[in-house]
Amino acid sequence: MDVKLRIHRFVEGKKWVQEYTVGVTTGMTVLEALTAVKEKQDPTLSFTCSCRSSICGACAVRVNGNAELACEMLIENLVKRYDTDVLTIQPLGNFKVIRDLIVDWDPKYARLKKIKPTVNPKPDFNAEDGCRQSPADFDKYKLYAGCILCGSCVSECNKNTLNQKDFLDPFIFVKAEKLVADSRDRSPEEHLKAVVDAGLWRCFNCQECTAKCPKGLDPAGAIEKLKAATFRYNLADNVGARHAKAIYDDISESGTLDETRLNIKSEGFLMAGLRAPMALRLMHAGKMNPLDSHPVNPEIDTIRKIVKNAESAAKEGE
Amino acid sequence: MTMKFALFPGCVLDGAAAEAYTSLKKTCEKLDIEITEIPNWTCCGASHAQGINDLAALAVNARNISIAENMGLDIMTVCNTCTLQLRTAKKRLDENKALREKVNGILKESGHPYEYKGTSKITHFLWVLDDHPELLDGKIVRPLSSLKVAGYYGCHILRPQDVMNHGDGKHPEYLERLIRKLGAEAVWFSASRKCCGFHAQLAAEHDVLTVTGQIVDSADKAGANAIVTPCPLCQMQLDMYEPEGRSAVKSQAEVPILHLQQLVGFALGLSREEVGFNRHVSAQEKLKLD
Repeated sequence: MDVKLRIHRFVEGKKWVQEYTVGVTTGMTVLEALTAVKEKQDPTLSFTCSCRSSICGACAVRVNGNAELACEMLIENLVKRYDTDVLTIQPLGNFKVIRDLIVDWDPKYARLKKIKPTVNPKPDFNAEDGCRQSPADFDKYKLYAGCILCGSCVSECNKNTLNQKDFLDPFIFVKAEKLVADSRDRSPEEHLKAVVDAGLWRCFNCQECTAKCPKGLDPAGAIEKLKAATFRYNLADNVGARHAKAIYDDISESGTLDETRLNIKSEGFLMAGLRAPMALRLMHAGKMNPLDSHPVNPEIDTIRKIVKNAESAAKEGE
Repeated sequence: MTMKFALFPGCVLDGAAAEAYTSLKKTCEKLDIEITEIPNWTCCGASHAQGINDLAALAVNARNISIAENMGLDIMTVCNTCTLQLRTAKKRLDENKALREKVNGILKESGHPYEYKGTSKITHFLWVLDDHPELLDGKIVRPLSSLKVAGYYGCHILRPQDVMNHGDGKHPEYLERLIRKLGAEAVWFSASRKCCGFHAQLAAEHDVLTVTGQIVDSADKAGANAIVTPCPLCQMQLDMYEPEGRSAVKSQAEVPILHLQQLVGFALGLSREEVGFNRHVSAQEKLKLD
């Protein structure tokens, strides 16, 4: 079967889309197709790759808008998914492009440094005895140690696409949670404060990072764990954290969200007051009535006990 | 045969998106789907509670699901985020016996009468219609042939794929399939897979209003007469903040934003009033149905 690859080219400031037709055989990967183009049709086509075993993370590209590891994604599966024999291949999104499908990691490493990305060992560790850790403590972060720095998680990140200046890449949040959860680190709050300052609460929770991670690391879940840690370390004094806390507290107060008071709890009276034009618009449409009293769940006592008992059990498990 | 579900409405259907509830009830009546609200349900955590205390958020949803299990019914929702929260809780509880026992211990200790068993499936109204297109057969009395409709899935009905595994989350087609089944033209628009930003509206306001504007403008440029979404949170974001979105991206686009059940209800013959279209903030007058 022939498949047409529409590859986004970028060479010395010039952009264009170039089409190549490749004879595809069963089991052929995207990387093998790119290699076939380079070897037999166009030696100027540039891309990166190394291990061909989904370990090094060098070959991630975007196919029809979704980040994939080129060395593990089969062309036949893409043809089936998109029901087409034309595939569009681009460099990863939210990266600066160097040439064709090659992206620049230097700005990403500079961003990574913001979270102080090394373990600060506790004083009881030393060069002679090392940093011993129990298997149970290792289990708390071992998932996140599997990041291969392929960049797939940030390619379609909605927040990064809109504005990278006040937010980090999902793999950086993964790295931060790995450090915060590492029992050998003496100052998790240093990493935490850095991620809060760098935009932790601005995550859209769109789950694109988790959907795109080829290693199943769940970066969106790592972000939620970091958020929970900011409450434990008293670093949750910002509008995003107050909003989340207001929602959480509403479950115990009435069972459901009290929409008319949510913004006041999150932003305070003054800021919420500035939203009066929006409130009037909603009242006009019948969507909000500040005079309505919010109903309380008849089983609220049980619900409060569930929350309280779960909080106690979670604390015991820490 | 009548299909029966325990309905988890979610908080906004009892509040700002009440029209999503009235239109759902009327549309389900027409479709011969019997829905019974889960008694004394609580908020699913709205994608935020797990960031405060994960175990508490899980236990609260175990309680919600256990009540439906006691009713002997599968659960249906009409909110992407509620579906994700409930299905995530179910997957974790079903796959981890120790966690299930811990959570059931919390429920019992707190005086909740039912344990979580894992006997109820959790689905979304859109998935029900996709699984059972025959529900619509012979009932479309007002084919929407004059409409070009932009289908806006929203994030949480598509991702993460191991929890939200109806179809291929990277290339979904079932909303467009339903739009066409209703007689309308399904319009592709470039911002169709962007996140509306609802969950970060306060923390990243400028970016969220920008993407709100981009989504509506993109659908307008593609010639859509309406945007339809299976998520009331996306609907609220795009409808309530449409004017601010226009300002953010310097657009003139005014597009009505419909709940999925409203569009289905229209095709089944319900009136504007019956589906509560008068409660929309933006572009009510732009929707030409007759």
